[in-house]
Amino acid sequence: MRRLALIAAATAAYMLAAWMVAPGFYDGLAPPQPYNWVCPAPVVAAGNLPPRSGHLDIKVLKGVSDASSAFTDDGQVVIGFLPGAFDVTGRTSISVDIQPVSPCPNPLDLHFATNTYSITATAPLVKDSNLLLRFSDRVPAPSDVYFATSLQGPWKSLGAAQQAQPFTIDTTTRQFGYFAAGYPANATRPSSTSSQLLPIAVAILIVAVLIAGIPLAILRRRRADEADRPDEEDES
Amino acid sequence: MLAAYILAVEWTRAVASAALELTFAALVLGGVALALTIAGRPADQLGLGTSRLGFRVLGGLALAAVLLLPTAARSSAAPILPASLALAAVAVSIGEELAFRGALYAALEEAGGAPLAVVGSTVAWTVAHALSHPPAFLGAVAAAGLLLALWRWACRDLVAPIIGHVIADLAL
Repeated sequence: MRRLALIAAATAAYMLAAWMVAPGFYDGLAPPQPYNWVCPAPVVAAGNLPPRSGHLDIKVLKGVSDASSAFTDDGQVVIGFLPGAFDVTGRTSISVDIQPVSPCPNPLDLHFATNTYSITATAPLVKDSNLLLRFSDRVPAPSDVYFATSLQGPWKSLGAAQQAQPFTIDTTTRQFGYFAAGYPANATRPSSTSSQLLPIAVAILIVAVLIAGIPLAILRRRRADEADRPDEEDES
Repeated sequence: MLAAYILAVEWTRAVASAALELTFAALVLGGVALALTIAGRPADQLGLGTSRLGFRVLGGLALAAVLLLPTAARSSAAPILPASLALAAVAVSIGEELAFRGALYAALEEAGGAPLAVVGSTVAWTVAHALSHPPAFLGAVAAAGLLLALWRWACRDLVAPIIGHVIADLAL
């Protein structure tokens, strides 16, 4: 009984300790995926490098802008443009710039899980462009990409498309401005399509333990009864 | 001596696996090097065996559920293990269990009894992960090590910690 109590206490201690750090215990086998923060949280501050910016010049041929992708040098932001994505009136080329924003905006109703990036271009968009933001493996996953035309807000959710790669979130936009990925500040459990499997796997494990435990307990009981029987016969 | 060898293997693995091209080899070789620590020790001394197999397997599933529950319940940002590293994860998690809760636990138990074995293997396990985890994670690492070591002591079993550790590493 004392052993069971110690294991139960260790389980509770583990739950508490793992709950205090995001995303909880893991064995660290996957190679680390460092994220370059403008404003790093204390837990990720050690070894943090400043985030990089990005620049792209897009050619305009026969009145149509080329298909191309702009990205930051550290790969934390990628925005892809389809052919003819821009209004190219009077232009022979278009410049796109991506800059991490400092100081970090901190809207009351949102929690950003990435840097905020300013994306500008010398021509407006006329087609949706695909925007991908990478996020750190050391923070809870964002649920949406947010957009604002001013750092003071208001911030508007652009939603999030089906995730193509781990630790990335993507959406589409037809406007330039400020972008960040995050989740509502009052959300207790930020959601993402990326890891719905883990809760299901744990639920299956728990159900398997409970279901398999019943026949095991019955078997044990039978064995105990059988062990008791000779003694009963001896007594009679 | 045994603890120093295990720590040297773990730290070398942690440093080598940070380089993307070396990750797989570092994990597999690290797992094999850790597994070598049980050489010469009988299975029953290590908590290995096929008796009470149903109980051991069930215990392993329960330990896996406990190890994964905080991550599964709270956040969707679990660090997903790339599929290409699955075999390596199995090798290193089995190696770690054989080394920490197998050979090191048995050696410490011989030297100072169960309390020293539980505490000593947990401390060594935590120190071994100091290079691969941010300091903030080490509390959870230590608590996981303590839970697995207590299971090893309470049930005289290493099969369940191996199963639980393998499942947890494959999931994360």
